[in-house]
Amino acid sequence: MTANLKKKPETMTDVIGLYIKDVIDAYPAVGDILAKAEIGCVTCSVGTCLIKDVVSIHNLTETQEQALFANIAAVIFPGQTPALPKTERKTPTSGTQKLSPPLQALVNEHTNIKRVLAQLPALIERLQKGLNPETRQTVAEVIDFIRQYADRFHHAKEEDILFKYFDAGSDILTVMMNEHEIGRHHVRTALAALEQGNAALIIEHLTAYGALLKEHIRKEDEILYPWMNRELTDSQVGQLFSKFNVVDEQFGAKANTYLGMIDKLEKG
Amino acid sequence: MSACGCPGSQTMAFKREDSTAPAGPEGVVKSQLAQWPLQLHLINPMAPYFQGADVVLTADCVAYALGNYHNAYLKGKSIAIACPKLDSEQEEYVEKIKTWIDEAKINTLTVMIMQVPCCRGLLALAKEAASQATRKVPIKYVIVSLQGDILEEAWA
Repeated sequence: MTANLKKKPETMTDVIGLYIKDVIDAYPAVGDILAKAEIGCVTCSVGTCLIKDVVSIHNLTETQEQALFANIAAVIFPGQTPALPKTERKTPTSGTQKLSPPLQALVNEHTNIKRVLAQLPALIERLQKGLNPETRQTVAEVIDFIRQYADRFHHAKEEDILFKYFDAGSDILTVMMNEHEIGRHHVRTALAALEQGNAALIIEHLTAYGALLKEHIRKEDEILYPWMNRELTDSQVGQLFSKFNVVDEQFGAKANTYLGMIDKLEKG
Repeated sequence: MSACGCPGSQTMAFKREDSTAPAGPEGVVKSQLAQWPLQLHLINPMAPYFQGADVVLTADCVAYALGNYHNAYLKGKSIAIACPKLDSEQEEYVEKIKTWIDEAKINTLTVMIMQVPCCRGLLALAKEAASQATRKVPIKYVIVSLQGDILEEAWA
């Protein structure tokens, strides 16, 4: 038992109302059970989510959810068979779902961002050999892409539009916004390092940014957007679609310019 | 009827568990219809209730098959009904849907059809109109079984 978990829960209903990090700290095997269910809370840096919120957001079937709770109960209440609670669910079944057009547009933008992230190891290898003018130019272009396309264009759609349809204080949005801020810190620092000609510092922060964003995008594509897709009404989907179109028009031809930059980067 | 007859007009009877039981918790479902007319030939696509609206274009048979049509699908939306198999002059339908999208600036279009193959024509017609429109809107389709279950609901 850790200090965060002040007393042992008495029922599984108590358990799912606890902060997930506190439970994992007190019962590390629960982290393994969640990881097997592809609920990656062990690596989360925030951990302020309640177990029931984390489970419900993953859209497990009732059968999967009950099996998960049974496995957790076996760790916390060994030798006992406590009653297993059920989380509230808007849709009764799991399975693949086609995202609405505005959310699919965000996933498509992720694909472009991931193409750039995939080039970071090669760029870092070049940086390790020194910061020559050609490498300096490539780093500047990559940072410009991250700041303009990934942050001002894509993340702004999320923060200024999409997230406004949900509870700003919710755990999942807190985690996502926190990761956006950490990403911005890495990019600011990498840019300052570029201006100072500090290759080691650029490597450190581009590496950290790449790892952060890769996991961030996975969480959004596989967990956040499917959950939001289930929560949004048709009317809200239409509103998002129109608002995203305005942002697309404002960004205009710059999107194609950045796609051309990605092509160039991939060709080396 | 031969086994290879048209599925859309094949004679079938469905057994319901208890036809004398109340239709729902209160036995009465309040109408969510908020406009007139409904038929796609009769509606004016520029009518105020289509401006910026979420529109549900419903095949004629859907509302009879689907028990909770009013509360689950019509509530808060504007409506038009049509039959892609029997209605004539469907080119006018394409023009009206284009007008919804470009002029009335509807927010979303939901197309509700029955599972019978001929009903797909209504979704095809809506997609054709959307492809001709200058504006773009999200289009959703819902396919209803003959027994009144939702077989598929997805964004096109």
